[in-house]
Amino acid sequence: MSKIEIQNLTVNYKEKNHRFTALKDVSFSVESGEFVSVIGSSGCGKSTLLSILEGINSPTKGDIVIDGKPVTGTGTDRGVVFQHYSLFPWMTARKNVEFGVKQVKKNVPKTVRYKIADEFLDKVGLENFKNKYPSQLSGGMQQRVAIARALAMDTDILLMDEPFGAIDAKNRTILQELLLELWEGDGTQEKKTVVFVTHDIDEAILLSDRIVMMSPSPGRVVKEITVPFTRPRNRSELVQTPAYADFRNELLSLFYSDIGNKIGGNEVVL
Amino acid sequence: MSLQKRFMRVTNLLFVILIAVQFLPDKVSADTFTSYVISFAVGVEAVVLIVSALLKKPKGLNLFLDIIGFLYVFLILWTLATAKFNLLQEALFPPPGKVFEQFIEDIDQIVINIKSSLGIIIQGYLLAAVIAIPLGLFLGWSARLGSAATYISKFLGSIPPIVYIPYGIALLPTFRSVSVFVIFLATFWPVLASTMSGVLNVEQKMVDSARVLNVNKLTMLFSVILPAALPQIFIGCNQGLSVSFILLTSAEMIGAQDGMGYYVKQYSDFGDYTRTIVGLLVIGIVVILISFLFNKLQNYLLRWKR
Repeated sequence: MSKIEIQNLTVNYKEKNHRFTALKDVSFSVESGEFVSVIGSSGCGKSTLLSILEGINSPTKGDIVIDGKPVTGTGTDRGVVFQHYSLFPWMTARKNVEFGVKQVKKNVPKTVRYKIADEFLDKVGLENFKNKYPSQLSGGMQQRVAIARALAMDTDILLMDEPFGAIDAKNRTILQELLLELWEGDGTQEKKTVVFVTHDIDEAILLSDRIVMMSPSPGRVVKEITVPFTRPRNRSELVQTPAYADFRNELLSLFYSDIGNKIGGNEVVL
Repeated sequence: MSLQKRFMRVTNLLFVILIAVQFLPDKVSADTFTSYVISFAVGVEAVVLIVSALLKKPKGLNLFLDIIGFLYVFLILWTLATAKFNLLQEALFPPPGKVFEQFIEDIDQIVINIKSSLGIIIQGYLLAAVIAIPLGLFLGWSARLGSAATYISKFLGSIPPIVYIPYGIALLPTFRSVSVFVIFLATFWPVLASTMSGVLNVEQKMVDSARVLNVNKLTMLFSVILPAALPQIFIGCNQGLSVSFILLTSAEMIGAQDGMGYYVKQYSDFGDYTRTIVGLLVIGIVVILISFLFNKLQNYLLRWKR
């Protein structure tokens, strides 16, 4: 049995008497310890899909089953990082992480919770910014805190909704590598199961074991592709190999052929 | 900052002029208590010199000195118009020295009156805030009750609280309890309304962030919604505070036996305008001090905002 099973998920929205289908019959599964990216252009329903996984939205039809149990709402088995607003602006970085830990480990004393918070803030390189408020941190640092919190909560599953989408290119690279490093760990712990939503193909290739490609109107899964590169991956070496270029082109053509079909033919030149 | 920049200021020159003006011959027959003005001015100038020596930010120093400068100019004009040239009617406009002297003479009475006024404000205000904020959180959070409550509080909040005074006098045993009741009403509705609208304006994404952490209902309300709505709650609290002072002094002038409003009303009825002015100035200073402390509290609680 897979860690996460998404079964025939359909979501209809109703807006001003206009019904539209955000997701139609979406099915795929994620194995325990697997890093899966969901990729697609905007409007393909990838964020809707994640919000159902998070438990803050419910599907019109279909089920999500985690560890054999259907998801009915939010749960402490899942840690979440959003693109924006993950952190509470009135809490310092340290307090934000501690607050997250408190929600999953209610019986752990405060001092221990702060110790855990410190440990994870150190891991994301924010040892000197623990007592800053989010407004005093850059966007990249805020996402580091959000990642530290999600990891400190020590949930089996991590759900990430375009976490680096609003970060500048240089810092995005740094954060991607940090995330990989933390996810791979030192090999002694069990790896987290990650569902990572992005619209950045390179990001998806670098990070994932498998890529689920989605397409809009209605949102559906086009293809699931296993990433053929071994870990640990080195970005600068990897991108220079011909295999990388081939794989990337294959994904790109999938990505665009679908848009081409939507616009009305095979002869669309992009 | 150089020593010159710190101490060679127009404000210090104004201080010298103020002192010099005091030594002009008096034109009124009554005692003008010049020594009180001089002592007061020397006291203020001592503070000015200490602040000038210690304050680090030039902008803050400028502001402080400008304010004191205005105070000196005001005292100079006041002295000249009353004691020295007798341009204004003596009975209605006492010289500054007389006001200072009267203040010192009445200080015990004034302290009692301030205590009485503040006691009423604190009781009515805190009671209103302690009830209105949690109630606003619950009502704002419950979509259905919230929209009904918004209309009801708009209606009840639109009644000027002062018109409750006659009814309050009939309902409640003491005038003091009437004052507390009126201040309670004056604070309750704006705080309730601002809390509810604060809750309704919390970003959905912020709420989602809390939901995915699996927080329980109470944590959601008091650790997430409350701080998120706090900037807006403070708008209502500020409004309640300023209306409270207006109402309290009005109420005290209508029927109280003590309080600062009573002090002003009583002495102006007897034509003692020196004490009337003392009362006005004391009320001004008390209100400024309370707003200052309240602002400090607000800035502290909202220190996470840019």
